[in-house]
Amino acid sequence: MANQIVELDDNGVATGKTGIESAMSYHELNAMINLWDTEGKMQLEKDKLAVRKYFLDHVNQNTVFFHSLKERLDYLVENEYYEKEVLDQYRFEFIEELEKLAYSKKFRFEAFMGAYKFYTGYALKTFDGARYLERFEDRVVMVALALAEGKEEIAISMVEEIISGRFQPATPTFLNCGKKQRGEFVSCFLLRIEDNMESISRGINSALQLSKRGGGVALSLSNIREYGAPIKKIEGQSSGIIPVMKLLEDSFSYANQLGARQGAGAVYLNAHHPDILRFLDTKRENADEKIRIKTLSIGVVVPDITMHLAKDNEDMYLFSPYDVEKVYGIPFGDISVTEKYQEMVDDPRIKKQKIKARTLFERIAELQFESGYPYVMYEDTVNAANPIEGRINMSNLCSEILQVNTPTTYNADLSYDNIGKDISCNLGSLNIAMAMDGPDFAKTIETSIRALTAVSDQSDIESVRSISDGNHKSHAIGLGQMNLHGYLAREHIHYGSEEALDFTNMYFYTVVYNAIKASNKIAIERKSHFDNFENSKYASGEYFEKYTDQVWAPATPKVKELFENSNIHIPTQSDWEELKQSVMKHGIYNQNLQAVPPTGSISYINNSTSSIHPIASRIEIRKEGKLGRVYYPAPFLSEDTWDYYDDAYEVGPDKIIDTYAVATQHVDQGLSLTLFFKDTATTRDVNRAQIYAWRKGIKTIYYIRIRQQALMGTEVDSCVSCML
Amino acid sequence: MEKTKLITRPINWNKIEDQVDLDVWNRLTQNFWLPEKVPLSNDIQSWETLRPHEKKLTMHVFTGLTMLDTIQGTVGATSLIPDARTQHEEAVITNIAFMESVHAKSYSSVFSTLTSTAEIDEAFRWSEDNPHLQKKAEIILGYYNGDDPLKRKVASTLLESFLFYSGFYLPMYWSSRAKLTNTADLIRLIIRDEAIHGYYIGYKYQQALAEESTTRQEEMRGYTYDLLLELYENEIKYTADLYDEIGLTADVKKFLHYNGNKALMNLGYDPLFPKDECEVSPAILAALSPNADENHDFFSGSGSSYVIGKHESTTDDDWDF
Repeated sequence: MANQIVELDDNGVATGKTGIESAMSYHELNAMINLWDTEGKMQLEKDKLAVRKYFLDHVNQNTVFFHSLKERLDYLVENEYYEKEVLDQYRFEFIEELEKLAYSKKFRFEAFMGAYKFYTGYALKTFDGARYLERFEDRVVMVALALAEGKEEIAISMVEEIISGRFQPATPTFLNCGKKQRGEFVSCFLLRIEDNMESISRGINSALQLSKRGGGVALSLSNIREYGAPIKKIEGQSSGIIPVMKLLEDSFSYANQLGARQGAGAVYLNAHHPDILRFLDTKRENADEKIRIKTLSIGVVVPDITMHLAKDNEDMYLFSPYDVEKVYGIPFGDISVTEKYQEMVDDPRIKKQKIKARTLFERIAELQFESGYPYVMYEDTVNAANPIEGRINMSNLCSEILQVNTPTTYNADLSYDNIGKDISCNLGSLNIAMAMDGPDFAKTIETSIRALTAVSDQSDIESVRSISDGNHKSHAIGLGQMNLHGYLAREHIHYGSEEALDFTNMYFYTVVYNAIKASNKIAIERKSHFDNFENSKYASGEYFEKYTDQVWAPATPKVKELFENSNIHIPTQSDWEELKQSVMKHGIYNQNLQAVPPTGSISYINNSTSSIHPIASRIEIRKEGKLGRVYYPAPFLSEDTWDYYDDAYEVGPDKIIDTYAVATQHVDQGLSLTLFFKDTATTRDVNRAQIYAWRKGIKTIYYIRIRQQALMGTEVDSCVSCML
Repeated sequence: MEKTKLITRPINWNKIEDQVDLDVWNRLTQNFWLPEKVPLSNDIQSWETLRPHEKKLTMHVFTGLTMLDTIQGTVGATSLIPDARTQHEEAVITNIAFMESVHAKSYSSVFSTLTSTAEIDEAFRWSEDNPHLQKKAEIILGYYNGDDPLKRKVASTLLESFLFYSGFYLPMYWSSRAKLTNTADLIRLIIRDEAIHGYYIGYKYQQALAEESTTRQEEMRGYTYDLLLELYENEIKYTADLYDEIGLTADVKKFLHYNGNKALMNLGYDPLFPKDECEVSPAILAALSPNADENHDFFSGSGSSYVIGKHESTTDDDWDF
């Protein structure tokens, strides 16, 4: 079949030439990349056609046309689409220049998935949802204007960084900035729940409020008394944590962000909570409807002691949170189980149950096969690496946020007695390939840190005081990374190879230096640092020891060459010494700086591979509520890079863990780490990977994915993803 | 008259006569699922965006599918048990029969989640009144109740690999247009099962056929093509009944050809429909892939890819640190 291509001019408008393929819809063209052609070749060019077709048949025809920028902005402000306050911070001429700058970059979507995702999920639409009011460039400009807070030079850098694909703000920020009718910019919230009805109901209330406004909410259930615990000293009264989970699940499915994104939630439980097995069984395929949890994500907090008990094949004791709190005067979640284990075992005032430690891990693995859950957080690893004073007892919906928190107490009338500190975090990720190609790596990071800081500054979640107080005190942000596999493939390096690990190590090493430096610079400018900086390992200088006491340099010639070619300065010991002095003197503005999220949607828009994972498939099939089935080819995929794109199941868990381990040592929070197994794996393989991860200093494990191949003889003819 | 003594043998899974039995058994049990797994209620918003005739079409398609699964679960699969070549095959077929009932029930889950009782009743009335649907049932039931075991297998394979697909087309079509995507996940789970059922019964047919005389083999070949054509003729009328209004009949037909060939392949025969009449819309074809290479997270529902895991205990070596 001859491919006559529909020609488009720079604005994506057809020049009038059409061809055979114009009879196919963009959906069909996109789907063709998942099918071999008649000669058994990949049809990657069909995806480019799908993008063109999508603009031609859909986007252009459904975009509201304005004669001038002035007319457009006036209309959008008058009709309450854009926030006037954002635009009023700037001269009109400047906005005009910024638009020109954005359009001069000739941005084009590389993949149909990216274009489709942007227009269905992010672009501003008329209130009836029928027509588009923004192109990609307009969105980028609006985000930059909102985050630069009136500073022209910073707005220019932000447009440069975002439109070139080097920096990509997370969905809530990129989606909402500058819009009048919008949710919050923050991605992620973490709440404690204490062992009383006031705190539980406040938790549910907060879950509703927060998922109405933004991304995901995670709650810690470790402090809540177990099934059968006494209420008002009467034994056998409490119904444990399952009913709380049910209430939360229903709350999340009720609230969504103006229909833009479904509410999503997670709950964490300590492995030594007596309800732990019941907690896991809520994810069973054949669980009773009354206890079955379908859409709420679950995570288990695993202390080191549990690993050691499993090693010795011993029983593990589960402790009643009700009794523990009575004995120690602090909630169960704030106690290091590893430290107090023997003491609690010997204390007759604490009621306990016991199970085989290995049984717990085997149960966890079984459930992960069936449902992908639970997430795992290695509590002691996390706390050992935490530079901030306090205790980390939970993570979030994507298991990359790791921050300290403190409890909130309530009066009898449900008002606040003492407002504790809960956690929020806004995220944004660098595209590693684009950042390496960029003209000024340090500036890319500084601009990103500034953008994320602006989000934190502008966020004020009034409905949940513990969140807004926590945010004002900590200014915590999470700079993430994506497109690692894409970059490695482009540079002809195999994922998980010696060179790949060397690169990952040096890349994250360079990032952490520049991130701390940027935060230090902001602290100097504003003469302000995060609350309780004085008691952090940054202030004591302890944090910097691993960088000032040893030399970090590329171990392979290839990686040395990559950094040289990119003209990126690798920080030296004396650079670190200098930074240490400045930080100890002036502090840093952000309590937390890095967190590597799984990057779903934004990596498609940005044409990246997700996070620092290997690809799930060379042609990825993505199903989302708003999208249907869409096919996404790995970025830079070609005959040339084909061999460097082993998928995650071929790569296997060990290399993924190795990659994350070298990155983890430079990241103050966490990294969403998914492990991939072929369906020949057993629960034992999953357990082994968990043990290996723990030994390598991995902080959290996100999903477990199992790939099942079609049984021989039942595949779809000529389907690319079947043959791979 | 002397009585023949019947000996009942317990099934011994440690002595496998046909490796395929074990493979298929393992796959089917691994694939076990229940409709409650899929968050269908996430499709309610999407359902409301369908126009009235599109809703009606969807309801009719699903009642049609319910009908086929009812037949297959209660009569079809069980009627194959007496012809089983091994005891393990009997066990596999009981699993198939059970899963068919799960399928039949899952359409009801879709109905009750998305629509009202009045609409459901209308759809079920329609299924009783539609002549082509009734004819389809009649033809298949005729062979199930007949006394030729080979013909039963052919009928069963054609049902599993061919007749279902006029109905499966629609949810795949919706999902490629971002509608009812969770329902499509559920259907994909059904397709995942049906693909294996069709393959397995077809395989058993080929084994049985190989032991027959050449004349009998020829007879069966002719019979198979005749039956396929008979069903096909009825099926295109049924398809037109359903899809004319929405203008998809031509595309569904190609899909039927594609799957008709697939059914013949399962039975070990050459394709009947020429290749260019089987050019299904790529969006539908790609959506069909039963592989679990779909990527999803908590925003996109559980997908159709998780399996029941194989349990294996860790040993002291694993914990050596």
